[in-house]
Amino acid sequence: MSSHPRVPGHADPGRSTMVTRRHALLPSTALLLVAPETRAEILPGGTGMPWRPFAGHPPEVVKPGPWVFFTPEEGAAVEALVDRLIPPDPETPGGKDCGCAVFIDRELAGGYGTASGIYMSPPFLPATPEQGLQAPLAPAQFYRSMLAALDQFCRAAYAGKTFAQLPDGEKDQIITRMEDGSLQLQGTVAKPFFEILLRDTRQGFFADPVYGGNRDMAAWKMIGFPGARYDYRDWVERHNERYPHPPISIAGG
Amino acid sequence: MRSGALRLALPALALVLIVSMAARAQTPNKQSFEVIEHGRYMATAADCTACHTVKGGQPFAGGGALETPFGVLLAPNITPDLQTGIGGWTDDAFVNAVQNGIGHGGIYLYPAMPYTYYSKMTRADVIAIRAYLDTVQPVHNRVVANQLPFPFNQRETMVGWNALYFRPGDFKPDPSQSEEWNRGAYLVEGAEHCGLCHTPKNAMGGDEGGRAMQGSALQNWYAPDLTGNRHAGLGDWTVDDIVLYLKTGRNRYDIASGPMAEAVTNSTSHLTDADLRAMAVYLKSLPPGGRAAPQPISDQDPAMQHGRAIYDNQCAACHGGGGQGIVGLFPRLSAAPLVQQEQAASLIRVVLEGSRAVATAGAPTGPAMPSFAWQLPDADIADVITYIRNAWGNAAPAVSANDVGKMRQALHREAQQAP
Repeated sequence: MSSHPRVPGHADPGRSTMVTRRHALLPSTALLLVAPETRAEILPGGTGMPWRPFAGHPPEVVKPGPWVFFTPEEGAAVEALVDRLIPPDPETPGGKDCGCAVFIDRELAGGYGTASGIYMSPPFLPATPEQGLQAPLAPAQFYRSMLAALDQFCRAAYAGKTFAQLPDGEKDQIITRMEDGSLQLQGTVAKPFFEILLRDTRQGFFADPVYGGNRDMAAWKMIGFPGARYDYRDWVERHNERYPHPPISIAGG
Repeated sequence: MRSGALRLALPALALVLIVSMAARAQTPNKQSFEVIEHGRYMATAADCTACHTVKGGQPFAGGGALETPFGVLLAPNITPDLQTGIGGWTDDAFVNAVQNGIGHGGIYLYPAMPYTYYSKMTRADVIAIRAYLDTVQPVHNRVVANQLPFPFNQRETMVGWNALYFRPGDFKPDPSQSEEWNRGAYLVEGAEHCGLCHTPKNAMGGDEGGRAMQGSALQNWYAPDLTGNRHAGLGDWTVDDIVLYLKTGRNRYDIASGPMAEAVTNSTSHLTDADLRAMAVYLKSLPPGGRAAPQPISDQDPAMQHGRAIYDNQCAACHGGGGQGIVGLFPRLSAAPLVQQEQAASLIRVVLEGSRAVATAGAPTGPAMPSFAWQLPDADIADVITYIRNAWGNAAPAVSANDVGKMRQALHREAQQAP
C-alpha cells in the first residue's frame, strides 16, 4: 500500500474526515490576536494627496544568472522537464529557452517557495481542494524532495542516467506516467508533483517577463496578447481590426 | 451722436476712476475689519505666503530657501514679532520695502522680493496688507536672509541693478481700456507679479526688454508664454479657459503643476471671479509675442519614429493615441501651447520625476503622473518628448539626450536637498 503524502493544493480523496469548523477558525483567531496596529493619517483639506519626486515602486526584474534556489542538478532536471512540457516548435522556443525553469527557480527562492503567505502549522487534515493547502511541505521543499526522487528513480531504471540525460522519448514516457498517476517516486505518487510543475511551467511561460519566464514575450506574441498596456479606449470602437502594437512588459518597453 | 456721447463719457469714466483711486490712496483705518480683510485678500493676491511661509511651518515666519541663479536667499520673517519680524516697522518702512526694495535700516532688498512688481500696487493696498500682517500670530524666528556668495552678497550692488531694471511707480490706468481690463492689468502687473516667472530674464536677472510674458526658464521648470501667440501662448485660449485655469488649476488644455500649482493653491484659486475675469481679459489683450511656429520635425526622422513607439507604449494609455488627453484628468498634448514652448524643461521634468497636479476646491482630484526615470533612459525620454512636440500638428525644437541627462542630475540634487 502506497503512502499518500499531503501536498500543496492537493487533497486526499480517500479520507472522509473534513476540516472541522473549529480547526478552520483557530488560525484566524490567532491572526486577530497578532494583527499589527495600523496608523491612519488625516490629510489637511485641499492639499491633495501626498506626493514626492521619483515616487514609484518599480517591479523587481529577475536577472539572468546562476540558479538561486536549485542546485545545478535540480536546475538541469527542471529545464529538461519544462522543455518536454512545452517543447520547442515553429511558433515559440521551448519551455527552457523561454525561461520557465528560471521562473520556477526564482519563485521557489521567494515567498511562494516558503509558502510565506499561507498558514503552514498543524493540524494537517484531509480536506477538499477548495480548502486549499493542507500539507507540511512548502513548495520549495516539495520540489527538492521530488526532484531528488526523480533522479534517483532514473539512475536506478536507466543505467545511472539522470532525467536530464535521457532521450526525449524516455522523458516523455516518464512524464506520461507521472501525469496518469502510475509512477511512484520513492514510494510517493508523482501525480501531485506533475500537476504543480505543469501549473508553474504554464505560469512561467505566460507571466510577465519581469519574473524570468516568457522570454522576449514569446508566449504573448504567439497568442497576440498586447501585454501590460493600461488602456484601450482608442480601440474599443474598432472591430475586426488587428491591434498593431507589440506587447509590453510591466517593466516597460 | 452716439459716438459723440461715448467720447464725452470716456474721460468722465476715467475721471471717476482716478477720483475713486485717489480716495483709496488716503491712509486707511488699519483697525477696520474691511481694511484687514482687504489686506488678507491682497496678501493672497500677492502670494506673500509662497516665500514667507515654510511648508508646514507657521504662517509668514520666513526661513524658506529661495533658489536664485546667484545663490540662496532666505525669505524673512514678516510676522509682527518685535525682535525678529516686522512688528517694529512703521507703515512707511513697510511700504518702502514692498514698493521700493529698501528694507529696514535702508538696506537694499534683492528682487527675488518682487518689489519691482509690487511697486505698481496702490499705497492703500500695501497698507491694507500691513494691517492684515499685524493680525497674524507673531513668531520669534530670526532669519538671515542673505546667503549669497560674494559679490552678490553686497547689497549695494542693487543700486546699479535698480537703476538698470527697476521702474518704480504706481500702476497708471489706461483710460482707453475698460475698467475690467485696468483691474486685470493692475493685478497681473502688480500683486500677482506674473512676469517674475513668465518674462525672460537676462544674465543680470533683470527683465529682458520687449519680451514681457514670453516665457522663461526657472528652477528647472519653464514658465510658458502668456502672450497672444497662438502657437505657444494663450492665443487660442478663451477668457473662460483662463478663468477656469486660475480658479481650479485646470481647463480643457492643461492642469497646473510645479510652481504654478503653488500659485493656484496659494493665490489665484482664492481670488474673486470678477478679478480672475479681469486678469483673463488683460492677458488676452497681450499682443502675440515670441517666435512664430517652427517647421515641425518630419515624422520620418529616426528620433520621431523611436519616440512614437515609446509614446504608444508608455504615454498613449492616459494622454490618448492622438495626444487628446482627458479633460480634468490627463492634460492634452496636441495643440497644447505648454508642449510647444521654446524650451522643454517642464516636459523633461515631469517625465523624469512624475508630477502631482494641483488640487483645488473647484477640482479636488489632483491627478498624478508617474515617474518614468526608472524605466526610460535619457535617449528614450529625449525622443518621446521630441515626438510629442512635433506630432499631431505640434512643432517645437528637438530635445537631446544630453538635455535629459542634465535635468536628471539636477532633479536628483533637488530631491536630496528637499526637506
